[in-house]
Amino acid sequence: MKYRQFVALSALSVLLALPMTTASLSAQTRTPAAPATARKWIAPKTSWGDPDLQGAYSNSNENGTPLERPEIFEGRKLEDIKGEELQKIKNDAQKRTVENFAGPLHAPDGWWQPDLTMTKGTQAWLIIDPPNGKIPPLTPEATQKAAARAAARRSSGRGPADSWEDRSLYDRCITRGLPGSMMPAIYGNGYQILQAPGYVTIVYEMIHEIRVIPLGGKPHPASSVRSYMGDARGHWEGDTLVVETTNFREEGIYRNANPETLRVIERFTRTAPDVVKWSVTLDDPKTWTRPWTFSMPLTKDDSGPVLEYACHEGNLGLMNILSAARAEEKAAAEGAARKK
Amino acid sequence: MRLTAIVLFASLVLIAASASTAAAHHAFAAEFDANKQVTLKGTIAKMDWINPHAWLHIDVKESDGSVTRWMIELGPPNSLLKRGWTKQSVPAGIDVTVVGYLSKDGAKRANGRDITLPNGKQLFAGSSGTGAPGENQYK
Repeated sequence: MKYRQFVALSALSVLLALPMTTASLSAQTRTPAAPATARKWIAPKTSWGDPDLQGAYSNSNENGTPLERPEIFEGRKLEDIKGEELQKIKNDAQKRTVENFAGPLHAPDGWWQPDLTMTKGTQAWLIIDPPNGKIPPLTPEATQKAAARAAARRSSGRGPADSWEDRSLYDRCITRGLPGSMMPAIYGNGYQILQAPGYVTIVYEMIHEIRVIPLGGKPHPASSVRSYMGDARGHWEGDTLVVETTNFREEGIYRNANPETLRVIERFTRTAPDVVKWSVTLDDPKTWTRPWTFSMPLTKDDSGPVLEYACHEGNLGLMNILSAARAEEKAAAEGAARKK
Repeated sequence: MRLTAIVLFASLVLIAASASTAAAHHAFAAEFDANKQVTLKGTIAKMDWINPHAWLHIDVKESDGSVTRWMIELGPPNSLLKRGWTKQSVPAGIDVTVVGYLSKDGAKRANGRDITLPNGKQLFAGSSGTGAPGENQYK
C-alpha cells in the first residue's frame, strides 16, 4: 500500500539523507540575546488574565526536519547540535532540495512552496522524548494489527488509485487529522490562534480545520462520540496551554494508533514575542511501548492571511490522479495487446 | 551518479515525511508528466484563486484558427501572493505565454512552471528564494 511504501521510504531517507537534518537561524539568532542584566521576557496576558498566545503562526522553517534522529547523530543530544554544525546541515538540505528542481526526478513538487526556508530550521530532528530521538517500539498487539492490515491490503487486489476511496483522507480533502494538521508541509503552513474567555481556537489553513478547544474541567464526551480531529479539552499549567485530545475515529488516525486508547497531549508555550513552542505527546499503551513526544517552534508570520480553503470544490487534483491512473492503465493494456 | 540519484530521492522523501502524509493535492507525478514540457501562448479567460491550487484558464488559438481552453495548475493562492502574483497581474483578456508540464491523461491541462506577461515580465509559479533553475530571471 502506498502508505507502507511511504513509511519504508521515509525510514530509508532518514538513513540516506542525513545532512537533511538541521537547522539554523534559531530563535536566538532572530531575537538577539538580551544582555545578562536585562529583565527576563514575560509572556503577555489577555485582558481576562489568560496567557496570550494569539496571532498568526507558521512552522514552514521545519519543513524537511526529520521526525526521528538520523543515525549520524547516534549518541548525541538534540540540544547539542547547534550553531555552525546545525546551520551547515540545514544549508546542505536546502541546497540538495533546490538541486532537485533541475532534474526530472519528481522535481516540480517543490515549486509550490511559498518559500523554501529550511535554512531557518532550528532543530536537527523533532522527537525530544525518548532521549534517543526514536519512536518507541510498537506493542505486540499493534505489530499484529499492522501485519493484518498489510495482508488485507495485499489480498484486496486494489491499486493505489482504483477509486477515490483508495486515496488518503488528505487527498480527499477530508482531514490531515491530529497532529497531522500542524505538521509542516510544502505549503499551507499557516495557523491562527484566537482566544476568548473559556476557549482557545486554532485555525489551520490546509484543509481548513478549526478546533474550538474548551478550557477547564469539562470531561470528554462518551466514547461512542468520535471524530477525525478527536475531542479536545484544554487547561493552563502556568503559561502553558495543555490540550488533551481523545475520542478519535479509526480512519485517518495518527500512525494507525488505537482510537480507543490514543491520547494526544499538546503543549503550547509562548517562549518569545514571536515564538510559540508546540510539543506533542503521543500516549497510547495499546500501540507504543511508552509515550513519546516531539516538539517544534511555531513562528509568528504576518506575511499573509490564513486563506479560505474550499478544498473539495477546488480539488481537481483528485480527478487528475484518477484520470491519470486510468490513462496509464489504458496505455499499458494497449502496449500488452501490441506485444501479442 | 546512481548514489546521487538515491540521495536526491531520499531527500525528497524526507521532505514528504515531514508533511506527515504522502504528497496529496500536490502529487505532481500522479497527475503530470515531468518529461512532457509544453509552451502555450493564449489569452487569459479567468484565474481561479482557489485552494488547494489556483488554476489559470487560457484560450489558445490553434493553427487551424480554432480556440482551445487550457487549464493551468499553479501553486496555492498564499504561495502565489508571496511570489508577487496579484489579481491585477493576471486579468482576463491579456495575452500570456505559459511554460508547464502536460497532464498524464491527455486532457488540456498542465502544471504551470512560469508565465510571461505582455510587458515581458515573468512570474514564477514555483518557489521564491530557492535558486531553482532560471529563477533569477523572475526577480
